[in-house]
Amino acid sequence: MSQPASAISAEGLTKTFQRGREEVVALDRVSIEIRRGEFVAITGPSGAGKTTLLSLLGCMDTPTSGTLRVAGQEVQSLNERGRTRLRREKIGFVFQHFGLIPTLTVAENIALPALFSGRNGKTRLDELLECVDLQHRCHHRPHQLSGGEMQRVAIARALANDPQLVLADEPTGNLDTKIGNSIIGLLQKLNRHGVTIVVVTHNAVLADAAQRQIALVDGRLK
Amino acid sequence: MNWFLFSTKEWRRRPLRTAITAAGVAIAVAAVFSLLMFQDGYRQGLSREIDRLGAHILVVPKGCPYDAASIALHGANWPCYLNSAYLAEISRSVGVLSAAPALMAAFNNAQGAATVYVGIDDRMLALKPGWRIDGSFPHGSGEILAGAEVARRHAWKVGGRVALPEIPGRRATVAGILQPTQGADDTFIYTRLEDAQQWFQHRGELTHILVRLRDANLLEPTVLALRGCTAGMDMNIVPLAHLFHTIQGLMNSTRVLLGCIALIGLLIAGTGVSNAVLMSVTERGREIGILRALGASRVQVFGLIWLETIQVCVAGGVAGVLLAFFSSHAIESWLRTRLPFAPTDSFLCWSWSWAVISVAGAAILGVVAALLPAARAAELAPLEAIREGATP
Repeated sequence: MSQPASAISAEGLTKTFQRGREEVVALDRVSIEIRRGEFVAITGPSGAGKTTLLSLLGCMDTPTSGTLRVAGQEVQSLNERGRTRLRREKIGFVFQHFGLIPTLTVAENIALPALFSGRNGKTRLDELLECVDLQHRCHHRPHQLSGGEMQRVAIARALANDPQLVLADEPTGNLDTKIGNSIIGLLQKLNRHGVTIVVVTHNAVLADAAQRQIALVDGRLK
Repeated sequence: MNWFLFSTKEWRRRPLRTAITAAGVAIAVAAVFSLLMFQDGYRQGLSREIDRLGAHILVVPKGCPYDAASIALHGANWPCYLNSAYLAEISRSVGVLSAAPALMAAFNNAQGAATVYVGIDDRMLALKPGWRIDGSFPHGSGEILAGAEVARRHAWKVGGRVALPEIPGRRATVAGILQPTQGADDTFIYTRLEDAQQWFQHRGELTHILVRLRDANLLEPTVLALRGCTAGMDMNIVPLAHLFHTIQGLMNSTRVLLGCIALIGLLIAGTGVSNAVLMSVTERGREIGILRALGASRVQVFGLIWLETIQVCVAGGVAGVLLAFFSSHAIESWLRTRLPFAPTDSFLCWSWSWAVISVAGAAILGVVAALLPAARAAELAPLEAIREGATP
């Protein structure tokens, strides 16, 4: 079966929250299309709805209205189990705060998604460690790593199940410029290997490194 | 990495909390396991003790039959005596195969150690087929048969001429030494009945008579016949099977009480485990969100927390069984000072099956205790992962 050309397709995506009696519109009729193999940066000021959009694209939340297709699957038609399966098999996540499990070693952290999908985590471990240049750190625990190394581990973990799409939330947000630039380089390298990358960022260098920018203001596309 | 390994890693995060949680389970399991060991051990010990007497019926002077039975089994001074003449009447009763007379006297030295003398005749041998004697049974005046432990303590040898402990100026010849019986017999000094009656100035008197029946099924008619005979008014006829059941019955009510306390202990331990895991889940909310974002299903998160809890409980269970095992000597010593009737043998009986059941019980405790925290963890939304939070 041929792969859909579009990695993400959103039409009229709206997300509202209830804050007391007030209804907050976090995303207002956002329509976007991200093609397979693209490197896209979602930018905008704080409170613009970037993280809300990322959580919808990552199937961690459901839109209030609108349609969303991720990796060819219509997200609204999926139940919780279906969304979990989609996250596990098609999407890799990179978090601003790395999100590494402190009790696990680098190798074990990287193997987590494989554990969830019932695969052998060792199969791709060497390849992933080599990809992020952390072979020498594989038995270390997160507290023994620098910020840049932790984010590289998080990137390797995002790739563990060979996803079609990597979503990164402020991947350079907790890093200094030099290390942040190395992470940008790594994301570009992955993109060159065909991985679709969507980042939410305030970092102008990272946004400029992307092939396309989607700017949000007050929950709407600019 | 597998799920088992993943869940064991969680222990390291808060080792003190894990240790305290497991210790709570260990103490509760130790209490339950000790009770189970006691349940079997006491019954077996009592049964062995009564079997060693070799009799079906114990005839003792009027008074509390259980006190009398305890004295006959463990050795002590008797407050009153039977007339020797009753022996002939008992021997003639229906169903009696053999009636063995005994006169017991006990002395405590300054250190509290007891020396127990028992005057018997060779009718006792019919009741004690398990006795193995190095040397011979005392037939001549001034001869003794020493229990294995007494002989060891005093370094007596067969044929030796010895000073009798606690009887100043009295000497005797060691005609024989009993091979170890693992019972109270090992601590007794047996002598001829006539000698005991003379030494302790109870001529024509006995402390108890051990009666063996031709057939154990004749117990009820024989007991009725003995109670109805002329001497029946002056003596207590104690069927040892009844004694066994009565003491067991008395102990059962104690066991039920202790069982309830142990059960409450388990419930408290379970609540402690549940609370500790709930705290852990609350602290790890963001991390659990990350696991969900990375593709862990609700069932997998539930299973992870469940497995962690069961592991802590099983570790606590194993520690509890070991704790009970290694403290059984101290527990038994303490119980001996509290129980009205304690068998000579160890009555905390190690059993692999009870050990396995205790650990399995701890695992079940973990299964139940984990339900609420595991359900809470499974309900956590993956969205937690990308919200602001602490570093790993």
